[in-house]
Amino acid sequence: MCVNLSRSVAPFRPVTLLHQGSAVSIAVHSLDPQQLKIWLMAAGKRDAAAFRALYDASSSKLFGFALRILHKRELAEEILQESYVAIWNNAANYQSHLAAPMTWMATIVRNKAFDHLRRTDAVVEIDAQQFDGDVMNALQDPQATPIEALQMSGDAKALAWCMSALEGAHRQVVALAYFHDLSHSEVAAQLKLPIGTVKTWIRRSLDKLRVCLARREQA
Amino acid sequence: MNIRNNIVLRQKLAAEYVLGTLRGGARRRFETWLHQDADLRRLTAEWQQRLAPMAEFAGDAQPPKSVWRAIERRLGLERKASAWQFWLNENLAFWRSLGMVSTGLAALLLVVVVTRVADAPAISYVATLTDDKSQSAMLVTADQRHKALEVRLLSAAPVAPDKSLHLWAVPKSGNPRSLGVLASNRGSFPLTDKAIGADVALLAVTLEPKGGSPDPNGPTGPIVYKGAWMRL
Repeated sequence: MCVNLSRSVAPFRPVTLLHQGSAVSIAVHSLDPQQLKIWLMAAGKRDAAAFRALYDASSSKLFGFALRILHKRELAEEILQESYVAIWNNAANYQSHLAAPMTWMATIVRNKAFDHLRRTDAVVEIDAQQFDGDVMNALQDPQATPIEALQMSGDAKALAWCMSALEGAHRQVVALAYFHDLSHSEVAAQLKLPIGTVKTWIRRSLDKLRVCLARREQA
Repeated sequence: MNIRNNIVLRQKLAAEYVLGTLRGGARRRFETWLHQDADLRRLTAEWQQRLAPMAEFAGDAQPPKSVWRAIERRLGLERKASAWQFWLNENLAFWRSLGMVSTGLAALLLVVVVTRVADAPAISYVATLTDDKSQSAMLVTADQRHKALEVRLLSAAPVAPDKSLHLWAVPKSGNPRSLGVLASNRGSFPLTDKAIGADVALLAVTLEPKGGSPDPNGPTGPIVYKGAWMRL
């Protein structure tokens, strides 16, 4: 029975360490998509314990994501809550052949966050110069920087690898659009670039990512 | 515009749809195509899979405990699970201690059932359910020959006209399984494994709105009778 699945495996628990005054969560194991899938499917069959395990394993990643989009802590908490309610309510419709569990859940968080920003007409401050510099810098040279230490899933590591092969400015254009729901013209305005340049960069970057990810998958 | 045979354009539109840079009329048109075009849906799902891991680049942040509590409260998760678990643990201990007495009682009742029924059923399980004062209130028998679950009220309190008695099999873990709703002071339901499976710990009867529990996952009303199966 599905209800026993969650008990047969030791639940994944993120460990919180204090680091320079702020809470930094370090995952003990990398996120195992197979395990997440089992929990998500069990949650679809109304298994509350499995849903709790799923939350424990994924909430710090999704909260980090919500914070990056929304910047405001309280708002990010509200959107995280909304998202997990939607995850529970829609878990029975989850189709594992179409999306990995983290992909599916992150898409829900992103849609909820963007919906909120559109509804409230909120303006999120974007500092394009400094934008995600920390993460992007870490990705620029995956040989030198320990991608492993960033505690990302295999999918994220592959994407990080392929994004690191893009030119810095191109990568920034893609990330701005993804994290901030920006149109071509909004990205162009943010980065003070001609719109035609932004369109070309995005198209080429997406092509390169597709080819690079396919190659990694074959390897 | 026909995009069916233009694979380059299909890839570009799916990617920019997922990235979010496909806007306005173009986005709405794309969504219309998605409805009619399974291959385009597959392409789009592939792009989700490629780009969504960017979410993890943001880094982890531990949400406060209040977020989970709010989710739990909104979905009604904590109350339902723990109430049943508590009830079950308490009752299992009770029934284990009472095993001998119940077996004797069950055997006695069985004699009554067997002698009264002409077409002698092959009774394989019997349960006497008691009320909160440990008075026998309901007899449940499982007839494997006729695949029938027979339920009969012995000395039950009257049920209000807008209420029904709902019989459940309570497994050792997981949600109670509905066995049937009593229309009168006796009932006959098909016998399946969900009633006499090895994982069934107890039988329980709850007082529900007319027609039975509105919640497919379990009871909503109070437990009025309970008891364990005795294998014969």
